[in-house]
Amino acid sequence: MFKNYIKIAWRSLKRQPFFTFLNTFGLAIGMAGGLLISLYIYDELSYDKMFADVDRIHRINVDIKFGGDARKFAVSPAPMADALKSDFSEVELVTRFRTRGSALVKKLDAQANVKEEQTTYVDPTFFEMFGVKLLAGDPKTALKDPNMLVLTKTAAEKHFGIDNAVGQILLLNNDESYTVTGVIEDLPQNSFLRDYTVFESMEGYSDADVVNWGSNNYNTFIKLIPSTNVEDIQKPLQGFLGKYVIPGVQKFMPGVTEEQFKATGNYLVYSTIPLTDIHLNSNLVAEMSTNNDIQTIYILSFIAIFLIVLASVNFMNLSTAQSLKRAKEVGVRKTLGSNKKDLVRQFLVESGLISLLSLVLALLMAMIALPFFNTLAAKDISIPFLNPFFWLILLGSVLLLGLFAGSYPAFFMSRFMPVKVLKGGGQSSVGGGGIRNALVVFQFAISVFLIISTLVVYQQLKYIQGKDLGFSKDQVLIVNDVYTAGSKVTSFKEQVKQLGFVKNATLSSYFPTTSNRSDTTFSPEEGLSDQENAVSMQTWGVDYDYTSTMDFEFVAGRDFDRNFGNDSTAIIVNETAVRVMRSTPKEAIGLRYSPDFNSENPSYFTIIGVVKDFHFDSLREEIDALSLHLSNRSYAMAIKIEAGYFENAISSIEGIWNTIVPGEPFNYYFMEDSFNDTYQSERRLGNIFIIFTILSLLIACLGLFGLAAFNAEKRVKEIGVRKVLGASVSQISMKLTLDFLKLVAIAILISLPLGWYVMNKWLEDFSYRINIPWWVFVLAAFLAVLISVLTVSYQSIKAAIVNPVKSLRSE
Amino acid sequence: MITIQNLKKSFRTEEVETLALNNVNMKIEVGEFVAIMGPSGCGKSTLLNIIGMLDNPTDGSYNFAGNEVGGLKESQRTQLRKGNLGFVFQSFNLIDELTVYENVELPLIYMKMNKGERKEKVMTVLERMKIAHRAKHFPQQLSGGQQQRVAISRAVVTKPKLILADEPTGNLDSKNGIEVMKLLTELNQEGTTIVMVTHSDRDSHYAHRVINLFDGQVVTESQNRAVGAMI
Repeated sequence: MFKNYIKIAWRSLKRQPFFTFLNTFGLAIGMAGGLLISLYIYDELSYDKMFADVDRIHRINVDIKFGGDARKFAVSPAPMADALKSDFSEVELVTRFRTRGSALVKKLDAQANVKEEQTTYVDPTFFEMFGVKLLAGDPKTALKDPNMLVLTKTAAEKHFGIDNAVGQILLLNNDESYTVTGVIEDLPQNSFLRDYTVFESMEGYSDADVVNWGSNNYNTFIKLIPSTNVEDIQKPLQGFLGKYVIPGVQKFMPGVTEEQFKATGNYLVYSTIPLTDIHLNSNLVAEMSTNNDIQTIYILSFIAIFLIVLASVNFMNLSTAQSLKRAKEVGVRKTLGSNKKDLVRQFLVESGLISLLSLVLALLMAMIALPFFNTLAAKDISIPFLNPFFWLILLGSVLLLGLFAGSYPAFFMSRFMPVKVLKGGGQSSVGGGGIRNALVVFQFAISVFLIISTLVVYQQLKYIQGKDLGFSKDQVLIVNDVYTAGSKVTSFKEQVKQLGFVKNATLSSYFPTTSNRSDTTFSPEEGLSDQENAVSMQTWGVDYDYTSTMDFEFVAGRDFDRNFGNDSTAIIVNETAVRVMRSTPKEAIGLRYSPDFNSENPSYFTIIGVVKDFHFDSLREEIDALSLHLSNRSYAMAIKIEAGYFENAISSIEGIWNTIVPGEPFNYYFMEDSFNDTYQSERRLGNIFIIFTILSLLIACLGLFGLAAFNAEKRVKEIGVRKVLGASVSQISMKLTLDFLKLVAIAILISLPLGWYVMNKWLEDFSYRINIPWWVFVLAAFLAVLISVLTVSYQSIKAAIVNPVKSLRSE
Repeated sequence: MITIQNLKKSFRTEEVETLALNNVNMKIEVGEFVAIMGPSGCGKSTLLNIIGMLDNPTDGSYNFAGNEVGGLKESQRTQLRKGNLGFVFQSFNLIDELTVYENVELPLIYMKMNKGERKEKVMTVLERMKIAHRAKHFPQQLSGGQQQRVAISRAVVTKPKLILADEPTGNLDSKNGIEVMKLLTELNQEGTTIVMVTHSDRDSHYAHRVINLFDGQVVTESQNRAVGAMI
């Protein structure tokens, strides 16, 4: 019997190649999209799960408001580790990371440095904590002493040409000598350590032993003893404020109590986050790697589900529409003794068969699309063809989908009454039009919603790109690691400035686009130990050419000037800082602030200038208070170049670099690119929206196309009669098209307010954002109408030009 | 009114060419009532479709009221048809989604008549056909005889010069059938030319003239006696 079902199903699919194609193609698009997104989500959810006892590992976070500045940190103080171990019997292990960013690395006798992008100091418990296996070396001793380090296999091969580099000497930043005591496997791409290649022993980092609860620099992880609850330590962890932090503060602010601290609106809250939650749920200051946002996962899941639902809806629509042709078959079968159950089964086999065909097509599509998808999503996903579970889940869900999509058509068609359909009046007895229309409305509502979303995301991106940031990011080249030139860095700068196309150059470690950040709490001369007046500010060390190179605008005071002997104690602040000081730009000039609370004779900085606020964080954030002071410790050099000279400039500047410090790598980037990187996730979201908008429109159009064909077929008699009575081709095709446009219009009415609401929610994440312009809705509606007219008119015109003699022939 | 000379019509399917009409010659004068008879597949309906300008002949000439129709484009045929021709079908071919009133109104809409005028004409014809009380009903709610009266109303509402009827009584019982034939006769007596395809001997007696078709050719033509005697 089953074989018979399949045979009949196959034949009826073959007999209707057009519908079979529409059905299979639409379903395959939905499946391919759903498959790729599922693989992406699966990968995102797998982050950090490979580490040993990962369900027992947590990180300490801290949420601080002090000095008018509120921030959430992924790092905590150095003594946190010891305090956790001594205070909580639940804590089995503690491991701290002190990240130090990039480092220039070379073998003892090598000429040139090679840059390792991510290096970190780490406690010796590292191996036990995360279950990281050593390929060479002993985990008990590998990080025990100062000046020991562990490399990943790739880094070891890079520097020594072999993976067993144990015993070799490495120089970091030219002057720190380390012995390689271990080599580990490269860390998995889906782990928070993926970018780290060099692990130095924390023993050599003296700051790690200083009991200072005031600065947060250590990513601190704990592993709990089995069958203990993290909730049990969360509450006592709050007690750390009174027990450790306040006593520390009292050293320089005598008499301060926890109550006073809190009464001024300040807070300091320690919390824990499971390691496995970090990748999708944590976006704090000083994360060890770039994390994703759970929102993205939700949005993608939403899109995946809708793609598949849209495709299923298509399937239902096309199948019930097709039923016109099958009505007679159903009638005959019933007359010959088939019961409803048999018919349902037969139709389900058919939809199962289509699902399987679609799956084959979908896998092909997914394979073709995968490289593009990987680029888009910045991933390295592959389709796990060799994994039997993949196939099991895939086949299972495809059959489920076939059942889901096929059930309505099956029950719908098996209901036909033979007497009616066989009388030839079959046409009017095929119903289901209402449901089909509702489904079309549903599909188009989603499509219009996606069009609106795409337009809004792109408008916001455009706004960000075009927004006046308060500094000039264009035509600025940043040369990294200039500290390797040592004292020759000034001569490098001077020689670069001599180049004709160089407008200006400045040395600093701090730039308005992604770079180092450092903040300090300052207190005014009056009320030095009064925490209410404390101002937490970014403190950026710069040189005399900084503000002119960055094109900052002064609202009061003056720039740093070599002619003033005492500018080494001068600071320039931004407008926000002035506001936090409860002052005005004019009045702020001359005010003295000190970073020292406790000193007998505190050092003071005098405000000499106020610059207009500029955006040095993402536009998602408000602008923070900021101060600039003169410093000659610089990590990088920013060079402002005349438009059109980038190519020449880079090679000339590199030439100068190589003559001054031969052998040191020349690393550079463009400020503009660095700025754009900040909005990568928005851009990615925008691209994803575009692609899936197109896919959902495509699916909806396939459905509409099929439905228009069905409709034309169903109304063939009516069209014939109208033509006989004098209707012209254009009148008829217009009427047929308009009937569909009504549905699209309803869909638009539903999706406009929905799109408005949802996208306003999304925009709320940005401190600086657009108001959704009215034309977004008009354009979305227009596109939907245009696309549907194009889709339907082919069928409508085709139906309208049929000779009525054919359609009215009474059979 | 109608002059047909050496008319040919052939249909091509994948392999065979079928000659549906072969050298048909006929003349129909204004005010005539002509019945076309013949066995199934003899080409009656094809001929009627060509006379009704729904279809083009393959060869030969067809002149309608002084216009050569053969070789006209579809849009030109539609233009010529408008208001000049009315159709009555065996299976009525009413539009199920439209009411009786709307069905009858349709050809007037396509003639771009204004609403008031349309209403007057539709109501007049519906009353004459004694179906005005069902104006708001849908075709499915009517009996076969009533449906055909609606179809005839629709055919005559434009006051066409020529009515083409394709087995107008084929789907009706004899009582309703006779009634329809009486209606057509009345219309003919008022001056409308009627060409009717039929199988029924009874119906053919209403006509002035019967043209017999066999295998696409006119085989006999016979004049009927005075029609009045039949009624």
